[in-house]
Amino acid sequence: MEPCFTPDQAYAEAGRCLLCFDAPCSKGCPAGTDPGTFIRKLRLRNIKGAIATVKNNNILGGICGILCPVSGLCEKECAATPIDRPIQIGRVQRFLIEHGRKLKFNPLEKKEPNNINIAIIGCGPSGLSCAAELAKEGFSVDIFEKKPKPGGVMRYLIPDHRLSKEFLNEELKDISSLGVNIRYKSPVESGEELEKLLKEGYRAVYIATGTWGMKSLGLASVYKGFYNAKEFLEKCKSTEKPDMKKIISGKRVCVIGGGDTAIDAAESALILDAKDVSIVYRRSFAQMPGDENGKIEALKSGINFLILTQPVKYLTNGGRITGIEAVRNKLGTSDTSGRPRPVPISGSSHIISTDIIIEAIGFGPEDDSKMLFEKFKLSEKGLILVDEKTGTTSKKSFYAGGDITRGPSLIPEAVADGKRAAKAILEDMELS
Amino acid sequence: MAKLLDLSIDFCDVKFPNPVLLSSSPVSNTAEMIGRAFEYGFGGVAYKTLGFDNIKIIHPSPRMAGYTYGSNNLIGLQNVEQITDRPLQDNLMDIEYLKKHWSNHVVIASIMGFSEEEWIELAKMAAGSGADILELNFSCPHMTVEGSGMKVGQSFGLIEKFTSTVRNVVDIPILAKMTPNITDITEPALSAKKGGADGLTAINTVRALTEIGLDDNVPKPNVAGIGAMSGYSGPAIKPIGLRCVTELAQCTDLNLPIAGCGGIETWVDTTEYLLCGASLVQITTGVVHYGYRIVEDILEGLSYYMEEKGFKSISEIVGKALPNIQPTDRFDLSRQGVGEYDLDRCVGCGQCYIVCQDAGGQCIDWDYDKRRPVHDEEKCLGCMICSFICPVSDPPLISYREVKNKKSVIPPVSE
Ligand SMILES: Cc1cc2nc3c(=O)[nH]c(=O)nc-3n(C[C@H](O)[C@H](O)[C@H](O)COP(=O)(O)OP(=O)(O)OC[C@H]3O[C@@H](n4cnc5c(N)ncnc54)[C@H](O)[C@@H]3O)c2cc1C
Ligand SMILES: Cc1cc2nc3c(=O)[nH]c(=O)nc-3n(C[C@H](O)[C@H](O)[C@H](O)COP(=O)(O)O)c2cc1C
Ligand code: SF4
Repeated sequence: MEPCFTPDQAYAEAGRCLLCFDAPCSKGCPAGTDPGTFIRKLRLRNIKGAIATVKNNNILGGICGILCPVSGLCEKECAATPIDRPIQIGRVQRFLIEHGRKLKFNPLEKKEPNNINIAIIGCGPSGLSCAAELAKEGFSVDIFEKKPKPGGVMRYLIPDHRLSKEFLNEELKDISSLGVNIRYKSPVESGEELEKLLKEGYRAVYIATGTWGMKSLGLASVYKGFYNAKEFLEKCKSTEKPDMKKIISGKRVCVIGGGDTAIDAAESALILDAKDVSIVYRRSFAQMPGDENGKIEALKSGINFLILTQPVKYLTNGGRITGIEAVRNKLGTSDTSGRPRPVPISGSSHIISTDIIIEAIGFGPEDDSKMLFEKFKLSEKGLILVDEKTGTTSKKSFYAGGDITRGPSLIPEAVADGKRAAKAILEDMELS
Repeated sequence: MAKLLDLSIDFCDVKFPNPVLLSSSPVSNTAEMIGRAFEYGFGGVAYKTLGFDNIKIIHPSPRMAGYTYGSNNLIGLQNVEQITDRPLQDNLMDIEYLKKHWSNHVVIASIMGFSEEEWIELAKMAAGSGADILELNFSCPHMTVEGSGMKVGQSFGLIEKFTSTVRNVVDIPILAKMTPNITDITEPALSAKKGGADGLTAINTVRALTEIGLDDNVPKPNVAGIGAMSGYSGPAIKPIGLRCVTELAQCTDLNLPIAGCGGIETWVDTTEYLLCGASLVQITTGVVHYGYRIVEDILEGLSYYMEEKGFKSISEIVGKALPNIQPTDRFDLSRQGVGEYDLDRCVGCGQCYIVCQDAGGQCIDWDYDKRRPVHDEEKCLGCMICSFICPVSDPPLISYREVKNKKSVIPPVSE
C-alpha cells in the first residue's frame, strides 16, 4: 500500500482546498462521506471533528480513502481542478482515519439499546455499513456470513498490495466496538431459511450477498493452469495451500478481460514473479472499463496489453494449458454500452503461448442465488430489484443493497446502500 | 456538529452560551446576518458600532484590501470602513429583534459618540433596545470625523470622561474597546476602569499600511487614487492581540474581564487567547475569510481540547498561560542546548547550511558528495533557526536538545 500522508502533508493538502460553497466533491461521493466538510474541519485545525465526520458518515472511511476510484468520484468534481489540480481527497480521508487510530480517538456513539433485532445476510462492505448504522441507533444486529471471516470482497478478493489485511482488521474493529454480532460460516441457503429469520424474531432483514458468480467464455473445462479471477485472487490471498507463488513463479500468464478485476489478477501474478503477464482484451485500450489510473499503473509495471484480441480456443497438452488461439479484432459500430463493437478480422488467427489463463470477464449473482431469492422480484440478470430511495425489496421486511442489487459496482456505493437501508429500517420501525 | 461539552461562561455577570462572538464590523451589520451567525453557533455578538445620524457616514469604496502571502490568502486585511452607515433607528430595531428571537444569546451594542451628549443618548437608546452589554468604541484607527475613535483611545482623559458619562446613564455592564496603537495598553485601560468600565475588549485593528501599488504608487485599498494609514486585522495581528490581552490580564490594578480579539480563525487561536487571560473572543476577519461556518470548528475543537485536558469549564482555561509569561530577565540562562539532527530522513536541500552560515553560528559544514549537512554540536549556538526552515517534519528532523554545562559559544575575532 502507498504510504499514508503525514499530518503536515494532510494540512498542506487541505490548505489547497477552496472550501467551496455547496461543495461539489461532497456531491460526487456516493457514500455521503462529505469530503467538503471534513477537509474544511482539517483546514481549520479541528482534526478530531474531521475524523468524526468521516467515521460517522462512512464506517469504512479509511478503506474508501484507499480503494475508491476517486478520479471518477469526489475528486472528479473538485473545483480546484481548473486552476490547480484536484485535492487528493482519498488520501486526506485515509490520513484522518489512520491519525484517529494513532490518537486512539473513537467518535462512534451508540444510543440506548432498543431491543429490536435485525438480521443482515453478508458481511461485505454493504452489510457492515448497514450493521454499523443500525448498531449506532441502538438496534441489536446479527450478521450471517458464509465465509469464516468478515469483509466480503475486501477480505477475499482485493489483493493485499492494494489493501493490507492489517488495515482491514483495524477498520473492522470499530464495527465490533459497536457490538455488532457476526456469525461466521453461517450461509443462508434457501428461501425458507430467509423467511424463518422473521419468525425467529428478526424484525427486518438486509440482504447484501454480493455477486460471487463468475461469467465464463465457456472455452475451458477443468484444465491445469486455468482459473477464473475470483478463484485465482482468493487463492493468492489465502495462507492455505497450495502456495500460489510456487505455481505462478516463472510462468507465462494471460489474463482475459479489461476491468479492474483483470488488472488485479495481472498485478497479483506479477507480484508472484510470473515471467510474463499479459492482459488479453477484445476492444481497445480506451474502452477498457478499468480505472484509468489503474490501467496506467499496470502498463508501467510491465504488464503487456494485448488489445483487440479475442480468444477463440484454449490449447492444452495432457490437460494442461499451453496457449490461446486468438483472432485480431477491429472496432466496429457502437453497441448498447455505447462502445464500439469488436469485429474479428478474418485470417488473423494466431497463437499466444501461455502456461496460465485467468478469466476475468465479469461477476454476476451466484448460480444458487436463484433459489435463495425465488420469492423476490429480480432483474433479468438475477439481481434483486429494490426501491431506489429506501432499498426495500418486493417482500415486506426485506431490504437489499450492494452488488446483489446493482451488479458489480463499488465499495462507496455498497456503503451508501447499507446506510440507506438502515435509515429506511429505522423509519419503518418508528412507524410500526 | 458533534455533541459539545458545556462551553458557557459568565462575563460581567452575563451568561454566554459559549465564548465565541462576532466582533463589531460588517460581519455583525444586521439582525438577519447575526441571526444566521447564531444559528451556526456563535454565542453572542458585538453589534456593528452605532452612531448618530446627524453625521452621515459614507463608506469609502473600495473599503478593504486583502493581504496575501505566498499562496496564503488573507493572512491580513486592511480596511477603511467607518462605523455603521445604517440609520440608528433601524439598528435599534434590529437589536430588539435579536433579543426577542435569541434570548439566550448575548448582544453587545458597540457605540461611538462624537460628543458627550451623543455618548449619553446612544448609551440610553442601545440599553433601551435590550442590549445586554455596551461596548464603547475608543479604538477605530481611521474615523474621518474629528475627535472620535482611536483619537479618544489615545487620550486618557477623554476615555475616563466618556466612560463615566455612559456609566452615569446606564446600569448594564460597559466594555471599553482598546486600540493597540499605543505604547502601553494598560494606561488607557486603567482610565476606562476609573471611568467605570466593567470589562475590556482588545484589540481593535492595528494602524498599518499593507501594500503600495507599484504602478500607481497608491496604498491599498486604493480609494480613487488615495490610500490611508488604516486598520489592519486578521491572522497577522494575532501576536499583537495576544500581547495586549496578556498585558491587560497581568495588570493587577486592572483586574477586569477581557474579550480577546484579533486574528482568530480556529479553536487553537481561541484557546491561546483564553490561556492568555481572555474570557471571551471576538472575530471579524476569520468570518470575512471563511464565513460564519468556522464557529462550528472552533466550538468542536474547544470541546475536544477540554475533554483531552480534563477542563470542566471554559473559565478553568482562562489565564492558564499567564504564570509562564514573564520578563526576559527571569530566564534561566544556565540552561543551554543544541539542534539535534535526525539525518536518516534528510532530503538534502541544504537550507540549514545556508541559514546557519548566514544567520547562525557557522557550525554546519556541507558534504557536497552526500548532499548532507555536517553539524558540529560544539559550535552550535542552539538558536534553532535551522529547525524553522527545515522542510521535514512529523516529527521535526531538527529538534532542540538541552546540553548540561554547555560551554558558551562566542564567535572569535575575524582573521
Ligand atoms: C477483484 C475486485 C476488486 C475490486 N476493487 C475495488 C476497488 O478498488 N474499489 C471499489 O470501490 N470497489 C472495488 N471492487 C468492488 C467492490 O468490492 C464491491 O462493489 C463491494 O465489495 C460490494 O459489496 P457487497 O457488500 O455488496 O458485497 P461483497 O463484498 O461481495 O460481500 C458479500 C458477502 O456476503 C457473503 N455471502 C454471499 N452469499 C451469502 C449467503 N447466502 N449467506 C451468507 N453470506 C453470504 C459473502 O461471503 C460476502 O462476505 C472490487 C471488486 C472485485 C471483485
Ligand atoms: C471592515 C472592518 C470594519 C470594522 N468596523 C469596526 C467597527 O465598526 N467597530 C469596532 O469596534 N471595530 C471594528 N472593526 C474591528 C474589528 O471588530 C476587530 O476588532 C478587528 O478587526 C480585529 O479582529 P479580527 O482580526 O478578528 O478581524 C472593523 C474591522 C474590519 C475589518
Ligand atoms: S468515500 Fe470515496 S468517493 Fe467518497 S469522499 Fe471518500 S474517497 Fe471520495
